[in-house]
Amino acid sequence: MEQSIVGLVQNETIKLLRRRRFLVVVLILAILIPIFTYAQYRSVVTAQERMGTTDWRPLLTQQIVDMQNRLASSRLPEEWRDLIKVRIAQQQYYLDHDINPMAPGGPTFARGFMDQAISMFLPMIIVVLAVDLVSSEFSEGTVKLLLTRPVRRWKVLTSKYITLLLFTSLTVLTTLILAYLLSGVVFGYSGWDLPILTGFEVSGGELETSGAFMLPQWQFLLMQYGLGWFVCLVVATVTLMVSVLVRSAAAGMGIMMAALISGTILTQMASSWESSKYLFVVNLQLTDYLNGTLPPIKGMTLPFSLTVLSVWAIAALIIAYATFIRRDVTS
Amino acid sequence: MAETVLSVKGLQKAIGKKPIIHDITFDVFAGEVFGFLGPNGAGKTTTIRMLVGLAKADGGDIRIGGISLQEQFPQAIAQVGCIVENPELYKFLTGRENLEQFARMSGGITPERIEEIVRFVDLERAIDDKVKTYSLGMRQRLGIAQALLHRPKILILDEPTNGLDPAGIRELRQFIRKLAEEEGLAVFISSHLLSEIEMMCDRVAIISQGKVISVGLVKELMEQFADQVDWTIPSSHIQKAEEILRTLQAVTDVWVVSEECLKSRMDIEKVSEANQALVNGGIPVMGIATKTVTLEDLFLTLTGGGGSHGAEHSGARTK
Repeated sequence: MEQSIVGLVQNETIKLLRRRRFLVVVLILAILIPIFTYAQYRSVVTAQERMGTTDWRPLLTQQIVDMQNRLASSRLPEEWRDLIKVRIAQQQYYLDHDINPMAPGGPTFARGFMDQAISMFLPMIIVVLAVDLVSSEFSEGTVKLLLTRPVRRWKVLTSKYITLLLFTSLTVLTTLILAYLLSGVVFGYSGWDLPILTGFEVSGGELETSGAFMLPQWQFLLMQYGLGWFVCLVVATVTLMVSVLVRSAAAGMGIMMAALISGTILTQMASSWESSKYLFVVNLQLTDYLNGTLPPIKGMTLPFSLTVLSVWAIAALIIAYATFIRRDVTS
Repeated sequence: MAETVLSVKGLQKAIGKKPIIHDITFDVFAGEVFGFLGPNGAGKTTTIRMLVGLAKADGGDIRIGGISLQEQFPQAIAQVGCIVENPELYKFLTGRENLEQFARMSGGITPERIEEIVRFVDLERAIDDKVKTYSLGMRQRLGIAQALLHRPKILILDEPTNGLDPAGIRELRQFIRKLAEEEGLAVFISSHLLSEIEMMCDRVAIISQGKVISVGLVKELMEQFADQVDWTIPSSHIQKAEEILRTLQAVTDVWVVSEECLKSRMDIEKVSEANQALVNGGIPVMGIATKTVTLEDLFLTLTGGGGSHGAEHSGARTK
């Protein structure tokens, strides 16, 4: 009598694909990545023209000088001052050890892309995937068919959640592959072994370089996309809850967009509001911990952010299940 | 007596703090078409939602084939096929893909069974088209196909004739009778149209304001409220007229309503014979009015919403 979860996941997969949700996601990536590639290419070319050279050392030196000039400005707020000091120390390390941090190539682009995409772009794409997963069944009335079969409600929701996790993972993988393949057309496909500096630690607003070490870029990418994958799973889980609670896809989309955007805004201005670090949207920029960028709020570390995100995901799941199992279906 | 397929006892439901279903009790047997009759807002759809597990009952017991719906939901609901309100299907999938979705959820359904049910509802030609291209009638048939796919013991239909044209209604009626009589299925139909229940159902439960006010055979209820004839007769002859009518076989009951008016309950086709008998007996009949009592009148009487013996409803009767 009890149906296997595999058949249910198959059902959900068919519906998700036939609704063209994943196709939309792949199309967004396939259109935007070339645009970002071109922008990256233009910025490299412009920098080279300004410097009159293709050598990266003068470029890096110039960046350090630029930042030192900004430090000298008296209008610079105190929290920015710390951040820029840390950046200068890092750039200086690259220069001293003869590492080109901007060496172009498909893998480097993929790394930069994840840095930029992890807190906004990828979560938005996951929201597109997840936002009407449950709510569309309610708004189209098909939930009446779904819940009058010999399958318990928790199993129905679980099959949807498993399907969502599968496609979220697939989206992160597709991002890596497309970023590498499409940018490689312009920048070339080499650079997997490029040494990347990581292991920075932040203590009291100071960048500790003592623990820093080199990592081949492919390993770094693996860690980075692993963190990106985790962020996407959390966003998918929270979106599932919204989809259970809100019946209209447009409203769900609005809620998630507002949350993500407010997260970006808060990370830029919340340094004096310390308890905002418990919001999940402030903790999405996990790759910064690898790069040695100062976190937006003091006291945030990688384990801290992972814990906050996990707690939010678990709470969202509990709310989603409790609501879905108990709710009466009305027209 | 046939097997009890659906048994509902003391069903209760409140929305917020407002109780909207109080104590609904009835049984549905295999091979019968059971009507669930009540005006809009009486609690029909809420009751149906509880019967199919879409809403939870606050009190009472629902058993399907003897299995408690509340305690063993999958086993109980596996014996139910239903269409609640409109047949909502996945419009972006084909008819066949829709059926495959439900087959995977029900389990134990072979591709041959899908073929069989498609033939049964006569959708062979359109089954591989997307549902969004279907007409309302085709969607209805696909809805019935999904409801019957897993060979349920009971089919629950909520206002099934809504939006159908007269030909579609006739077709559905025959189809439902066939399911009950030939396949031995129990069919549970809700409706606010009394004529519909009268034509389709064997038994009926009449509900009003969340309560069952009457359960019984449709035929018996109809007999109890058989057709009436009003005779207008001068008061001097009324006594004699009553005596004459009482002797006739076609007349089941006679009573004096007013000084010049006599009412008889009788077969309407025998009116001219009765008239002949009165005239032969020397009664000057001044007027005859026939009244067909439908479930509508019955309903109004039972719910206290109309006159003592129903609204005037002369002549035409749709059958």
